[in-house]
Amino acid sequence: MNSFVKAAGAGFIALGLLNSTALAQDSWWKTAAQPLQGATIRGISESTPASKYVEQVLGPKFTAETGIKVEFEATSWDQMYDKAIKDMEANTGIYDFVYIEQDIVYTYLARNFLVDITKSLADNPKIASPDFKPDNFTTFLNYFKDPKSGDVMGVPMEAFIKPYLYRKDLFDDPAIQKAYKDATGADLKPATTHEEYTQIAKFFTEYGKDKELWGSTVQAASSHPASFYEFFESIAPTFGVYNWGIDGTTFAASVANGGQMNSDAAKKALNYWVGLLQYAPPESTSSTWDEVAGSFAAGRAAQGLVYGENAAWIATDANKSTVVGKVGVALPPVEPGVMEAAEAGKGYIGYYDGGAFGIPHSSKNKDAALLFLQYIGQPSVQTDWALAGSRIVMNSTYDDPKIVEQDKAMNGYYSLMREDGKLFAGAPPYPFHAQVLQVAAPFIYKAIVGEIKPDEALDQAAAAAEAELQKLGYRK
Amino acid sequence: MRQSNVGWLFLAPASLILFVVGFVPFLYILYVGFFDWNTNAVDPGLRWAGLQNYRSLVFDPTFLNSLTRTLVFAFIVVVSELLLGYVLARALMADRLPGRQFFRTIHTLPIVVAPIAVGATWRLLCVPGLGILPHYMKLWFGIDYNISTNAYHAFGTAILMDIWHWTPFVTLSLMAGLTALPKEPLEQAQIDGGNKLQIFWYVIVPMLKPVLLTTVFIRLMDALRSVDEIWMLTKGGPAEATRFIGLHIWINVFPKTDYGYGAAMSLLTLYVTIVLSWLLFVAMTGRKGGAQ
Repeated sequence: MNSFVKAAGAGFIALGLLNSTALAQDSWWKTAAQPLQGATIRGISESTPASKYVEQVLGPKFTAETGIKVEFEATSWDQMYDKAIKDMEANTGIYDFVYIEQDIVYTYLARNFLVDITKSLADNPKIASPDFKPDNFTTFLNYFKDPKSGDVMGVPMEAFIKPYLYRKDLFDDPAIQKAYKDATGADLKPATTHEEYTQIAKFFTEYGKDKELWGSTVQAASSHPASFYEFFESIAPTFGVYNWGIDGTTFAASVANGGQMNSDAAKKALNYWVGLLQYAPPESTSSTWDEVAGSFAAGRAAQGLVYGENAAWIATDANKSTVVGKVGVALPPVEPGVMEAAEAGKGYIGYYDGGAFGIPHSSKNKDAALLFLQYIGQPSVQTDWALAGSRIVMNSTYDDPKIVEQDKAMNGYYSLMREDGKLFAGAPPYPFHAQVLQVAAPFIYKAIVGEIKPDEALDQAAAAAEAELQKLGYRK
Repeated sequence: MRQSNVGWLFLAPASLILFVVGFVPFLYILYVGFFDWNTNAVDPGLRWAGLQNYRSLVFDPTFLNSLTRTLVFAFIVVVSELLLGYVLARALMADRLPGRQFFRTIHTLPIVVAPIAVGATWRLLCVPGLGILPHYMKLWFGIDYNISTNAYHAFGTAILMDIWHWTPFVTLSLMAGLTALPKEPLEQAQIDGGNKLQIFWYVIVPMLKPVLLTTVFIRLMDALRSVDEIWMLTKGGPAEATRFIGLHIWINVFPKTDYGYGAAMSLLTLYVTIVLSWLLFVAMTGRKGGAQ
């Protein structure tokens, strides 16, 4: 009896301790948010699966825990930049946190738009969450650090590679394999070279004539920067042309001045890419990243380079995709020597994309926004977020059983990203990103519609880029 | 004298607002146009450029092409809308037309739709491979209609979209003008033996001139600054086939942050618009301005 009472007592004490610990943990956000009760923070982001999760799940959960209201605007890529940049330029303070895509962070840093998160938390330890640790993030976080101080300027919210997706069901079909062998003399397998990729694209375009199936997606919107990005960030690197072909020291673009934008390799790349249009669905010339994912999910292409943010829903969401369970994932095809260079750290084979949330200096609710950014930077919210948006920003997320399960359904997209993510790279650290894009992109558009030859397009793009860089004062 | 003072007093608030939101920005743009100013440059501040921005514009083929394209677009849509608007106005005024009231209501609906929604709707109609227009153009006429590769298709579609959207406005204006015309001169012309064409040209058109002038001015100025519809439909493409001047200025000022050059472009475009309007005024009234 005595021992029973002792055991029961010990049990109650243990339970009490557990409860009090749990309560203390649960209440940290509430305690930290106490002085900010009634505040409303506003954020803006590109509408992606990951940002929709923030809008629909994380924002409301944060509000429930802290009493701080989150108003979140998920809009188009163009609108997002237009509104966020205007707000930060004019210092109006409409937004308390903004989406920073990896390729624009250098412009934002150069223009001193962003609050130093590391410093702000050090200055105000009362709102520094014990669950927010920059070390938990993958190396993708490095893109959002101030190169001078190493301080964190943005909390990663999505990261993905742009892999090569192919229709596994078609590639594994014995009848199709035989037809391919008969037609080409080669075995049908995911392409590792551009020649193989083109051959497969041609074959499936012939095969799919009456089936609304084409050989390849091409992100070739003829008046949208998406085509510029696909060429310079996903295609040109596989031909060994990196950083848009602009020399990072002299800011030369043309071969004559030491750049690579109009090099033979770049011209070969553009000819290859424009050539793929004959094997692509007719909507390709108006396709941005979203439409490419849509075309693949609708079963209209046998293979393509598709942004990883769409990999999960294409492979697993039967409400939106007609190719669930039929998607294979592989590394993009490359020219000889490019893979070896990437493995040696001297190049890359594709785009490592993603973004973070940062706090503009113009924000009027910096503390509340800091709390929110830490909230979404906790390890505990990462798994469900990854399941919804196929994005992984923390190393620990890869090992979660739910993610391992989803990885199987996606034919190893996460494994590919974990093991070979190092072969991909983000955009070059140019503060003149938008300016060069605007002057060079029209020549890519002209090559897409056949107004000029791809070789001329790159010669003119290189000249225009150099003229702009000179005007901006980067190139002497 | 006292009455005059009271009148100015009543006008003061509106004048002040107009001065602040209209004239002050104009002066600011005039000022910025004399500088080289890009916030993403190595030196992000304003650097004096004198008339260099204007000099560059005169030799900038992208700007000149964009301006020419816009003028062609404006000419085609304004003339088409005027002709079509007049025909529709007469048709909707005809007593014999059954369901006249119903058609009057229906035909004005496009005006109330926001330009951005009009552009989005037309884009959905035109998406290559998926839209209803490419489908039926191929099925019925064997035409590979593609606004993202064919410059003529894109330009033509932009014109059609504008005509669809704004003809009802012209119809309404002309209906108001036609309804207000006195009957006596028309009856007199008939008695004098004038045929329909003569009555139209020598009686109706002169009497309708104030309405025509106002309508043409409004439509011309709107057509010269088309941005949102075109942005949604083609984003200025394919390549630069539908990059009208408003869109070109927007691209230079916002994504490219080239404020000085963009300001100069805006002013030159404003100048062209004023000159065009003045020429039109002279052509339609035979007066050189300033006349009562």
